[in-house]
Amino acid sequence: MVLKNMNDLKRLVEGGPRKKLILAAAEDQHSLGAVIRAWKENIIEPILVGNEEGIHNICASNNYDISGLRIINEPDTEKSVETSVKMISSKQADILMKGKIGSASLLRSVLNKTWGLRTGNLLSHFALFEVETYPKVIAVTDVAMNIAPTLQDKIAIVNNSVACLNRLGYKMPKVAVLGAVEMVNENMQATLDAALLSKMNQRDQIINCIIDGPLAFDNAVSLESAQLKGIKSEVAGDTDLLLMPDIEVGNVLYKSLVFFAKAKVASIILGAMVPIVLTSRSDSEQAKFDSILLAAAASR
Amino acid sequence: MIRNLEQMEEKVLALNKKHRVAVAWAQDNNTIGAINNAVKKGFIEAILIGKPSEIKKTCESRGIDYRIFALVESHNEIQASSEAVRLAKTGEADIVMKGLVGTDKFLKAVMDKEMGLMLPGSVLSYVCAMEIPAYHKLLFITDPAVIPFPNLDQKVAMARYAIEMAQKFGIKKPKIALISASEKMSRLFENSVDYSIMCKMADRNQIKNCIMDGPLDIFLACDKKSVEIKGVETPVNGDADILLFPSLESSNPFYKGLMLFAKCELAGLIRGTEKPVIVMSRSESERSKYFCIALSCLMA
Repeated sequence: MVLKNMNDLKRLVEGGPRKKLILAAAEDQHSLGAVIRAWKENIIEPILVGNEEGIHNICASNNYDISGLRIINEPDTEKSVETSVKMISSKQADILMKGKIGSASLLRSVLNKTWGLRTGNLLSHFALFEVETYPKVIAVTDVAMNIAPTLQDKIAIVNNSVACLNRLGYKMPKVAVLGAVEMVNENMQATLDAALLSKMNQRDQIINCIIDGPLAFDNAVSLESAQLKGIKSEVAGDTDLLLMPDIEVGNVLYKSLVFFAKAKVASIILGAMVPIVLTSRSDSEQAKFDSILLAAAASR
Repeated sequence: MIRNLEQMEEKVLALNKKHRVAVAWAQDNNTIGAINNAVKKGFIEAILIGKPSEIKKTCESRGIDYRIFALVESHNEIQASSEAVRLAKTGEADIVMKGLVGTDKFLKAVMDKEMGLMLPGSVLSYVCAMEIPAYHKLLFITDPAVIPFPNLDQKVAMARYAIEMAQKFGIKKPKIALISASEKMSRLFENSVDYSIMCKMADRNQIKNCIMDGPLDIFLACDKKSVEIKGVETPVNGDADILLFPSLESSNPFYKGLMLFAKCELAGLIRGTEKPVIVMSRSESERSKYFCIALSCLMA
């Protein structure tokens, strides 16, 4: 099964049990808007942790009706995050979302050794794009979290992402390991890592997916361009997941898709006990809503 | 397709060509015996460089008529080596062969920057065809003689030489197994890293005309039953034509062990030179030396 667009993602979540989402430091207008919409559309059951007065003020000025919503008053930002994370590690909720707090502070709590959400896995960013010019959604990792992943990191990033895609219904997602070229070039580490990841996949050292790389961006997403180059690959032209060589390539691709290709995007952090919605202030409310959808679908 | 060394000999005879072989320091018994055999079969003419008196003595002791050879006088093994190389360089000989001279002295002449036989930018390596009674066809191995610890570039060169030789034996797309202790990719085993990169290069047609897989152990490379038992998916499928070894210390005992214990015969050749260069261990049998001469004619 593949997802064609964000509506397919929504269909995946609809009708299932509603996941509990904790919005940490909830006094944040943009996050609240998306969370309340997801609540009204029966996608999640939110718990707002933060400055109760601030939350009510935002809701009043935006005409959000939150009667019946559970709010835990914790005016201190750091404490509200700690409370949120502890509720998750004690299994009281399924999704963590960032409100009015910096990403670094939130992640510090997530990684807390005694009460955090560590699993032993690397944390990685996973983004899902709906682009008009591609026949299905395409996942991209890691565009925001790991700066210059080593081979070991890349293995962990692929494993996180594949497990997520598996939960979204992809039995054997096709993973393209991106390079500037599709050839192996000793001077380009990304192409060497790509070759190693392909071999590890062949040898069942990375499972539940089909990996090929290096593939240049055009070969990865266009069968025609792969055929022109004579590339024989199960992945070329039919990629479900693009693995980025580093954050610079990833971040530029991500922003190009959003700004130039008007892509819709949903993104979450993987590798912790639960999916984390960690959108930035500049993301649209739609992107935040879609990210909540993705987190709900990815949640076990 | 040539399946054993006698078929190789037949193929050389069918070429109906006489190659001129210059032998450096030629007075040893096995060399003269092998050369005599090849001259009598009609596929070579021999130029023996060394001490004429000793050459004649060896011939007489074996009842060989020395007048069927051209004799060139030389006073020491270094001079004899240079002379053999010079004859090839000037076109007076087609093939160079090492007699009783030490391999290092002989190769020094071959590799001399101005007077030697190296192709520009090429890697000097060694490939040999082994006839093993327990295997259903010839098995080519590289490199049991020249490169102690090949790096990636040298391994790629070794693979290309072996493929080229196998093709001369009528194997259009030889199966090449990159040999290790296990089939897994591990960063701790540098060779498995190189092998994974090479497989991708073969995928992308950067190494042409072969079916390549590795790392593989010798069982997975040469025994279908082991492939079934282990359940490893490999295009080589226990039917390797070529084994590429990670080091001289692994390949050299492999071939010597087979010669000593498994009644293996072999024919080997230096690669990377303008003209074929025959180098073999002084202790090798006359029969093996004869096959080496025939092989050099096939490759000339």
